[in-house]
Amino acid sequence: MSSSSRRVVITGIGIVNPIGLDAASFWDSLSRGQSGIRAVETFDASGLPSRIAGEIRDFDAKNYIEKKDRKSLRLMARAIQLAVAAAQLAIDDSKVDKDKLDPTRFGVEFGAGLLPTELEELGAASQASVNCQPGSVDLEQWGKQGLGCIPPLWMLKYLPNMLACHVSIFHNAQGPNNTITEGDVAGLLALGESYRIIKRDQADFFLVGGADGRVNPLSMVRQCLFGHLSQRNESPESAVRPFDRGRDGWVISEGSGVLVLEEANHALARGARIYAEIVGFGAAFDRDTSGRGLARAIRTALKHAGIGPGDVDHVNAHGLSSIKSDAWESRALLEVFGSLPQPVPVFAPKSYFGNLSAGGSPTELAASLLGMEHGLVPATLNYTEPDPACPVNVIRSTQPMTKDYFIKIAFTEMGQCAVAVCKRWK
Amino acid sequence: MRRRVVITGMGAITPLGHSPAELYHAQLEGRTGVGPVSLFNARAFPTNFAAQVKNFDLGGYVRDPQRWENSGVNTRFALAAAHQALSDADLLDHNKIDPARIGVYLGSGEGIQDFDHLIPLVAHTYLKETNQMNAVAFSEGGLKKFHAGREYEQELHTTTGHVAGYFGLEGPNYNCLTACAASSQAIGEAAEIIRSGDTDLMLTGGSHSMIHPLGVTGFNLLTALSTRNQDPTKASRPFDFQRDGFVLGEGAGMIILEDLEHAQRRHATIYAELTGYGSTGDAYRVTDSHPDGRGAIACIRAAIADAGLKPADIGYINAHGTSTQVNDKVETVAIKNVFGEAAYQTPVSSSKSMLGHLIAAAGAVELITCVMAIRENTLPPTINYEFPDPECDLDYIPNTARSKRINHALSNSFGFGGQNISLVVSRFQK
Repeated sequence: MSSSSRRVVITGIGIVNPIGLDAASFWDSLSRGQSGIRAVETFDASGLPSRIAGEIRDFDAKNYIEKKDRKSLRLMARAIQLAVAAAQLAIDDSKVDKDKLDPTRFGVEFGAGLLPTELEELGAASQASVNCQPGSVDLEQWGKQGLGCIPPLWMLKYLPNMLACHVSIFHNAQGPNNTITEGDVAGLLALGESYRIIKRDQADFFLVGGADGRVNPLSMVRQCLFGHLSQRNESPESAVRPFDRGRDGWVISEGSGVLVLEEANHALARGARIYAEIVGFGAAFDRDTSGRGLARAIRTALKHAGIGPGDVDHVNAHGLSSIKSDAWESRALLEVFGSLPQPVPVFAPKSYFGNLSAGGSPTELAASLLGMEHGLVPATLNYTEPDPACPVNVIRSTQPMTKDYFIKIAFTEMGQCAVAVCKRWK
Repeated sequence: MRRRVVITGMGAITPLGHSPAELYHAQLEGRTGVGPVSLFNARAFPTNFAAQVKNFDLGGYVRDPQRWENSGVNTRFALAAAHQALSDADLLDHNKIDPARIGVYLGSGEGIQDFDHLIPLVAHTYLKETNQMNAVAFSEGGLKKFHAGREYEQELHTTTGHVAGYFGLEGPNYNCLTACAASSQAIGEAAEIIRSGDTDLMLTGGSHSMIHPLGVTGFNLLTALSTRNQDPTKASRPFDFQRDGFVLGEGAGMIILEDLEHAQRRHATIYAELTGYGSTGDAYRVTDSHPDGRGAIACIRAAIADAGLKPADIGYINAHGTSTQVNDKVETVAIKNVFGEAAYQTPVSSSKSMLGHLIAAAGAVELITCVMAIRENTLPPTINYEFPDPECDLDYIPNTARSKRINHALSNSFGFGGQNISLVVSRFQK
């Protein structure tokens, strides 16, 4: 990537997820093969064709936030609350003494998506403005009466950059602060950028992550309209089946994953536990979704890492469980890894908790990091019948991690792709 | 030695014109792009004016404009400005360049919510007594009333996806959305991707419009907008004592960043060099910037140092200059802190006095203004400057453009929530 001798390591994991409200319980569910997909409970979803999701129950952001900061929770949409909670867990896990951090060398970068407005907040304003003819809004009424019915700080609750903003305020992080908004690949692009920023000596310590909170009527209606969600409403736990022949779409989920990235000497000087080193990153646009662009991103990342396909222990896949995108990902994997004598093992973490979109890749990457700690790669759930369109070696049962490198893949349905390479720290 | 990054193409769709030259020359004449809102009926809103893009026709830039009929203007403006920038850099038929070596990094905004379908549905499915939604009725209504294509185009990654797909740019593809700092941050990070060696070329900049009912509603509720409805063309008055808020604008600005050696090999026209980038967080409040300008100071310093310059080398500052009470005061404090005595000898102006605030797209359009100022040796003014504010006592180039040859310009962008970005752009010297 550059001639820089600075190395970047991961020293903290924060997870708020349908299968676990911290890294330890998250790993416990992964190792037990526990799915987090259920029938939607937070609202009556019976009006929707897809009525299942990865929901986080019993989440209360107050439990994660210092008392003095709690009043700001009313300015946070669900995704922001999930993000600040996961960030706090990541900081705790890193065991860093925040008072010893140089705030100007402490950055924050998040992946985020559209933050859906809570419809109740627009209820009174809407009713004040549609009383003349059904189906159309009287903008004069809206301006005169409606507008005043909405909370004054309404907009701030839904700006995508507010995940990183609130996190930076809570932790006094005055270094670079960015928010990547590239759908399902946003969190991994944020990780790649933070990695570059530390390498080029503009920060030593970073909170990097992503979050999404789409288990609500507005987001689910919109995603149902796009038409790619699983409708396996009768058997939620088997709905996410990446690369399986019986897959019928993906499942919406909510949650956040946050990692602490740190310059290696900075981490060593404070005696930090090091989960892994980030040694390569690649990004590309797969214009025709042929897989060639994704394959190029993988090769770029491997090249930066100075390794070949045979050095990779396993692929931590995007594995969306979409008919089209799993086949696309398989084409790319075949192009890069197809000539190996033993096919590379593929692990698809979404099979446990669905698609967290912007929060997905940091969470999924953490699954392999925790696996590295335990020397294991978790099984992919619901993989029962191979699909000829997906000729990849999906891991059906937990297996030992034997090599020192894994790669994390993420991409969007439009073609934005990213790949990170992590290496066991020795 | 790090790779040098130069600007070899530019494009702009703005309230003051549909090319970098039009944008710049309108500013030299001190023209305003502000007028009554015509995109929707804003008569009863606290603010009923904005700086709208006029007479825009996507068909002038792409072959099949109907392909984007479901897209918001964020994507439509972006495609047009991208076409201009790529054409200007002679990259539209880039047969000799590997498309994998051209990336895209935009700071573009969201598409526009379908207000006309969302609000009536909320009205009919909201239960006032319990302050709850009838989720089933809302879901069934939404599935019937919402248009899948228009909903999809609101997603935040669609603009970069369309731009990369249409123009065949297969390198790394990013979008950041850091409020008013977004496109400046995109440009700074895009340059770093070139410096890292991963690409030779980046299409970067931003595109945004928040001139729609929920956008104006949100900013009006925050009391961030000027409400000078009786005199809209005088409403954007950065650094003036009587300023009362910013004016919404819309549009797109795009530039081509290129590795210097790559540009020289293909004999590209080099407009300027991007020499400095600073990026900091305020870590203060989501509602206010730090009163002492802590983050802004650090970011301006970092950008000037990154360019290998001293503050006195900067010949012109294109300010964030939003025309809000707080921004203009704090930005002045920050400039004085970094520049010391030289602050009073350094001309500062705000393009927003004429363009309004293009939010995510503001920084890119303002950087293009800086490049034009370096090339044409004339600095754009701050218009509507009538009543000096004792707390804003710098040389704001009041009301009339000024001839001055400069070698280095600084462009500031400060995002709501505390992201601060400064860029330094320099006259190209071998």
